[in-house]
Amino acid sequence: MKTLEYLGDPIMRGLFLPGIVTGVAIAIVCACLAVLVVLKRMSFIGQGVSHAAFGGMGVAAVLGLTGASLTAAQAMGQFSIILSFCLAAAMIVAWMSERRGTSADTAIGIVLVASMTLGAILMHAAFKRQGSQGPGWESVLFGAILSVGWSDAIVAAIVSLAILVVLWWERRKLIFWAFDETSAPAFGAPPRSPRIVLMVLLCLSIVTAMKLAGVVLATAVLVLPGATALAMSRKLSHVIAISVGAALVSLVIGLVASMELDWPPGACIVGAMTLLYALARLAGLAREGGLAGARAEA
Amino acid sequence: MSRVTPPTPHEHTLEYRGVSFSYPGADTPALTSISFAVHAGERLGILGPNGGGKSTLLKLTLGLLDLQAGEVRVCGRSPREARREGLVGYVPQKVDAELAFPLSVRQVVVMPLVVNLAPWKRVPSETRRRADEALSMVGAAELADRPIGALSGGQLQRVMIARAIAPRPKLLLLDEPTVGIDVAGQRRFAELLQSLRERLGVTIVVVSHDIRTIAAGCDRVACLARTLHFHDAPSGLSPQVLGEVFRHDIAEVFGDVHVDAHAAATCHVDAGDHAHHHCCDHHGAPPSAGVTLNVSAKPASAAASVNKESPRENA
Repeated sequence: MKTLEYLGDPIMRGLFLPGIVTGVAIAIVCACLAVLVVLKRMSFIGQGVSHAAFGGMGVAAVLGLTGASLTAAQAMGQFSIILSFCLAAAMIVAWMSERRGTSADTAIGIVLVASMTLGAILMHAAFKRQGSQGPGWESVLFGAILSVGWSDAIVAAIVSLAILVVLWWERRKLIFWAFDETSAPAFGAPPRSPRIVLMVLLCLSIVTAMKLAGVVLATAVLVLPGATALAMSRKLSHVIAISVGAALVSLVIGLVASMELDWPPGACIVGAMTLLYALARLAGLAREGGLAGARAEA
Repeated sequence: MSRVTPPTPHEHTLEYRGVSFSYPGADTPALTSISFAVHAGERLGILGPNGGGKSTLLKLTLGLLDLQAGEVRVCGRSPREARREGLVGYVPQKVDAELAFPLSVRQVVVMPLVVNLAPWKRVPSETRRRADEALSMVGAAELADRPIGALSGGQLQRVMIARAIAPRPKLLLLDEPTVGIDVAGQRRFAELLQSLRERLGVTIVVVSHDIRTIAAGCDRVACLARTLHFHDAPSGLSPQVLGEVFRHDIAEVFGDVHVDAHAAATCHVDAGDHAHHHCCDHHGAPPSAGVTLNVSAKPASAAASVNKESPRENA
């Protein structure tokens, strides 16, 4: 197996290890957020924000902040630029849909396309200047987890830890708000801050997840593990545990498949997540069918 | 929910003094010069048409809107203070909650008790006991471990009431609590309110456009229609028409009923025990010279004969 060969070779292991650390950090944090994203039906806004990141990546590329050989400061600079674009996109979507009478999906569509266009133009200019040194479109769109360096891995680990701490700290307010947004303020829950907190966490996780799955597939990491877990359990603690488990199993399956078949890792990981979701749904349908049959017999 | 200071006894659990409110950009005010008081332990029904300002009144009571004119006091406090101290319970008109959420009924009822609990603190067993007690009071104890998404409409309503009373509020607000519930369900709802008042001594304010809900479960009735909307039928929705609408509804509850509506500043609804009630209603007329309903009714069991009071002019 190529995977065992790669992991047995100290040089190859050294190359892949930052990517694996990054992948584990992203998988855990996105799996926790995915439960809220699915339950609050925020996957489309996640899609909009992740595509808005494309504009930020374009600016970062023009400034030379791309590729695997960034220093920690450069990695943080790139992260900050992309995050700013994502936060700006989220705020513009909220502003357009709340104050201008534009529906949220229209606002997301407009912001998504505008930022993609800006990113495409800036990245084209940057790649043209860098020639073969540039990271290439494929890694931007679909991720290149196995080519990230330790700087990226450290940034991803720190950001993921920060997201998990905020999620834990705000868990009661977030859950009350997510469950019953209309009534929660009447019981002393803050009316707006949980949404803002969740949007900021979503932006942070999307920017981090782009290392794993790229602009196009980042949202999948924030949706599929949660959807899989919700198809398997109706207890919140179990749902979160299953979501994290599904994300980590998908990461392992995806990375192994990528190494064995020489396929893009981001696509393999998201493919594995999709497969697990399909299996969870099928198991759910079979269980419902079994229960219905048992009821009919009774 | 932890309370900062214990509420001191107040004659009025809820008091409005000259409250007016307009939404930004709205042509007409949502509420104009609203004044009323609700005594401790009383059940007040606020009756009015859809869009008549009932929800605005609830939001002001909950401190979710900023007052523009007048004063609102809840147990002697500002609405925000009262909400923070857990003195107000609220049952929403319709459950907008994400029922797919993987939560048990007990977890939902516990939510208002722990929402402001320090993150590092575990939920005390006493809190869970209070949630179970609230569920027991509304006859839903057996539902505690069921997933919230697996409940029927009636069960869900009881759970929402349990969630509202779990923090032991002094004032319980119910927004259109019997929408979509049949007559038998409405009767059970009225019995539940009576039981809650007896067991908790809670003051209850019910807002509804359904006179059956109000008449069956409240001691006192106020009519609220700060702006009747004439957009669809500018000249058709006269007080007389409205009176006719109410006549049919009241008749279902009280039997033989005669209703009239007149231009007057105050309104008296004599329901069953002939209690005398203030009513603020102005159907299309300027707020200060509101048209109100005069309704007198007797219980159906007493072969109700409801009198039409003579027209009165606004004082």
